[in-house]
Amino acid sequence: MHYTRNLRGSLLGAASLMVLALPAAAQEVTVWSGYPELGPFYEHVAEGMNAKYPDLKVNVEPIALREHEKRVALGITSGLEGATVIELPGSTASRYVENDLLPVPPQDVVDFVKDPANFGPFFVDAASNNGQVYGVPLFRGQGALFYNTEMFEAAGLTEPPKTMEEYTEYAEKLTQRDADGNPTVSGWSLRLSGGGQGIAEKFWINMFQYGGNVLEQTADGKWKADYANEAGLKALRQYIDLVQTKKTVTVEMPADAEAFERGQTAMFIRESWVIGDIAAKAPDLKYATAPLPVGSIALPGNLYVAGDADDADIRAAWDFVLATNEPDNLVWLLANVGWLPNRSGVDYSSVTDSVPQFAAFVDYPEGYKFFTLPSIGPIEEVLTRLAAALSEAYADPSLAGDDDKIMAVLQRAEDETNAILEREGLLGE
Amino acid sequence: MNRRRRTDLLIDLGLGIFGLLMLTPLIMLVANAFKTPEEMLSWPPTLIPRDPTLDNLTSVLNETPLLSWIGNSLAFALLSTLAIVATSGIAGYIVAKFPFRTINIVFALFLATAIVPFEVYMIPLYFQVKQLGLLNTVPGLLVGYLVMSFGIFLIRQNVLASIPDELIEAARIDGGGEMWIFWHIVLPLLRGPLAALAVLAFFQAWTAFAWPMIVATKRSAYTIEVGLALFQTGYTVDLGRLSAASACVLVPSVLAFVLLRRNFVQGVAATGMKE
Amino acid sequence: MLRRRRWRFAVMALLPTFAIFAWVRLYPIVQTLNLSLHDWNLLSKNKPFVGLSNFIELFGDRLFLTALGNTAIIAFGVMLLTIPSAMVLAGLIHYRTRSRFAGFYETSVFIPHVVSLVPAAMAWKWIFDAKLGPLNALITRLGGEPQSWLFDPYLSVLCVIILCSWQALGYAVLIFLVGFRNLPTSVYEAARLDGASGIQSFRFLSVPLLKPITLYVSVVTLISGFNVYAQAFVLASDAQGAPGRLVRVLVLDMLENSFRNYRVGYAAAEAVILLVIVLVLTGAQFALLRERNGR
Repeated sequence: MHYTRNLRGSLLGAASLMVLALPAAAQEVTVWSGYPELGPFYEHVAEGMNAKYPDLKVNVEPIALREHEKRVALGITSGLEGATVIELPGSTASRYVENDLLPVPPQDVVDFVKDPANFGPFFVDAASNNGQVYGVPLFRGQGALFYNTEMFEAAGLTEPPKTMEEYTEYAEKLTQRDADGNPTVSGWSLRLSGGGQGIAEKFWINMFQYGGNVLEQTADGKWKADYANEAGLKALRQYIDLVQTKKTVTVEMPADAEAFERGQTAMFIRESWVIGDIAAKAPDLKYATAPLPVGSIALPGNLYVAGDADDADIRAAWDFVLATNEPDNLVWLLANVGWLPNRSGVDYSSVTDSVPQFAAFVDYPEGYKFFTLPSIGPIEEVLTRLAAALSEAYADPSLAGDDDKIMAVLQRAEDETNAILEREGLLGE
Repeated sequence: MNRRRRTDLLIDLGLGIFGLLMLTPLIMLVANAFKTPEEMLSWPPTLIPRDPTLDNLTSVLNETPLLSWIGNSLAFALLSTLAIVATSGIAGYIVAKFPFRTINIVFALFLATAIVPFEVYMIPLYFQVKQLGLLNTVPGLLVGYLVMSFGIFLIRQNVLASIPDELIEAARIDGGGEMWIFWHIVLPLLRGPLAALAVLAFFQAWTAFAWPMIVATKRSAYTIEVGLALFQTGYTVDLGRLSAASACVLVPSVLAFVLLRRNFVQGVAATGMKE
Repeated sequence: MLRRRRWRFAVMALLPTFAIFAWVRLYPIVQTLNLSLHDWNLLSKNKPFVGLSNFIELFGDRLFLTALGNTAIIAFGVMLLTIPSAMVLAGLIHYRTRSRFAGFYETSVFIPHVVSLVPAAMAWKWIFDAKLGPLNALITRLGGEPQSWLFDPYLSVLCVIILCSWQALGYAVLIFLVGFRNLPTSVYEAARLDGASGIQSFRFLSVPLLKPITLYVSVVTLISGFNVYAQAFVLASDAQGAPGRLVRVLVLDMLENSFRNYRVGYAAAEAVILLVIVLVLTGAQFALLRERNGR
């Protein structure tokens, strides 16, 4: 008796499982993103595709950047199940393209990217390899100064700083201290610790204001490290001066967007997504943005499609990628997430007019310069190692006021960078 | 007599305080789950939320498939426990009671692999799972957690300590086959240590992180531990929500452990009660 | 004849377990050894043989040497902190087995070992936080100087050691408890009749009798100490509010080399060095205990 009942029960269970499993046979596309705040954007795009693809299921799976990089590396090399839209900076994608691991998009997608009305040559290049388009540009990381206007007012400052010397002066004036002179609110928040390459990227941005680049392309199309020089010295000296001598910021102080949102720092340099983050987490914060003295990083993020799936699913994935670049969706992206869309010819004014903080990212001065990370395989290794050397230097009080020692740190790191480039056959003359 | 009671009391007090200290970080984590974002930032930090809120909890439950992640973890942990208990039970008995040279070498090999950190061979193992087409599945997760060197060691120690050779010899003389002896004489005596091993194996799989992180790349295939790591975004860690999600997982698993602990301790104690 | 039959049974019974071991442990380990002699970027189809050059490069690699040093300090720190305290704790808990609270002692010490690592590490990160954390609040209350726990080069290593010990302690206590419960009670009875105090019988009976267990627990703790990764990773995670100083450890450096720098062969060479270190330490520990036992 009991047995039959159990048997019937489990048969029923199996049958209902099969019924549940059936709808999954419809089309499915997975989206891998390295920016959790972009999750809602991709969901929004997917909803907009309902009319054309009523049976399409889009799995949006954003995770933290470093874990994202890891799953992409493992997933692409060992084969992805199902059509997958992958978000990557062009500099990282080049590695996969060179090993034939990312397919060429359908012709209409290539045409869309190559149309000069859609994207400037900078973005097309970043999505291509040897002239062949592999991905579709979507957004870019571009830096600007964020500053707390109330703190500026309290310190008697009306204009944002315009030169790197002024950044130091401002940082001193803006730092708030307790009775013992220890800073409680940093004047200028700097990236001084943490893992990964972020420390080196931020250093590069500061050094760029002094006219330098961490890596320079040589005449033969290869690369060489170029920071053990005047620009590098000035940039690193400023960091050490602010941390060790002027103490406008300390290593352990809360830093970056969260500190800014909580009023724990007066200013810092960051990408446009902070605008969206502030709107969500600290809507009452009084702040403004300003372009950097010389120019900024511009790190384009593209979408690629990979995976073992039938043609219909792959097509649906590319249609999803195209849908992300529809004007309505791009305006939604800017308004709700804050990352800057790369497509030209779209009217973003409804957002930029109502959120004046976007102006520093969109209406930059004449002659404003941009740099990007070179599309070379070992770029992450180069920056991670530089980051390790820099974070050690920032915390070293013996470097304060000693240019020779600072230069020695830079020289040692530069030799290390060049050794990596040489190993990979990328070192230029 | 009186002095003895006083030392006992002192020991109890010391152990009690120490136990509470061990739990403090977790208690704080649960408390943080009910704090408002403002309170999370207040100085000095509070232990008990001044103004408890359920916002963190509801937003976590609404926005993440927490329950299906728990389901994945549960399936993975239970199957892993089963596999480890079965392999350790047999292997532990054999290496304890069959002193052949080959067997000893195999046992040494088992122990030696325990020395090799999992991360050392994780990547080649990943490619094996991939070849079998088991990525994003529970069997794929299981591949990394089928055997446990410590389990074999634990069972071996218990067999050596609690099953006298005479008992097995007597059964053999009575004409019992080797399989029959293992099943009817050895296994019942090992119930305690096997239960203890089961708890260890279960929690080992339940808390696994590095392996599920690479085998499960689809949101629907995540284990709870990987899902939790999602809250640690690259940009801002929302400690209130992270704490709420953690509490959702922590509280049931701690309760489960407290419940299992009874069997577990009785089992372990039973192995020592023979004398 | 009988011996032969028993041998055959033993082999047959052990075979499935051994097969699984070979498949999920031995084979991947051999693969790692093999990879360490090759140059492979995870993506390309060819893996040129490079001999020992990965190893030679490692010993000039500043980050690797830093990682090696940190890992060794952490592993030994955790062992030195955990093993003696676990033995004493297990002894006390065993002594108070009949206490109404025995269950609580055992559970409270063991729970940190079974909770998920990510949330536990997050809790500790908050505790250590220089500006918001309860630890500095306590120190200030007691009149001390607040410390930047996660940023100081020495304190940040100490933080990792504390976190790892907190997690490792429960396991060690559990194994010691099993050991205590398996000790022959008759010996203790005799010692008590001879007038030995509790501390004396702990020192002169338990400690030597538990030597095999101590050996095992020390090895396991040391190995898991060398394995430290997620703890250091979470404590220094890029969370913007308060990132910490990255305590570079071996596994972290290894994963970075394979998944960020795409140098799987190089990372495998690191893994092999990790393996050699652990093997040597284990061997030394065994030898040490055997020698003491022999004396």
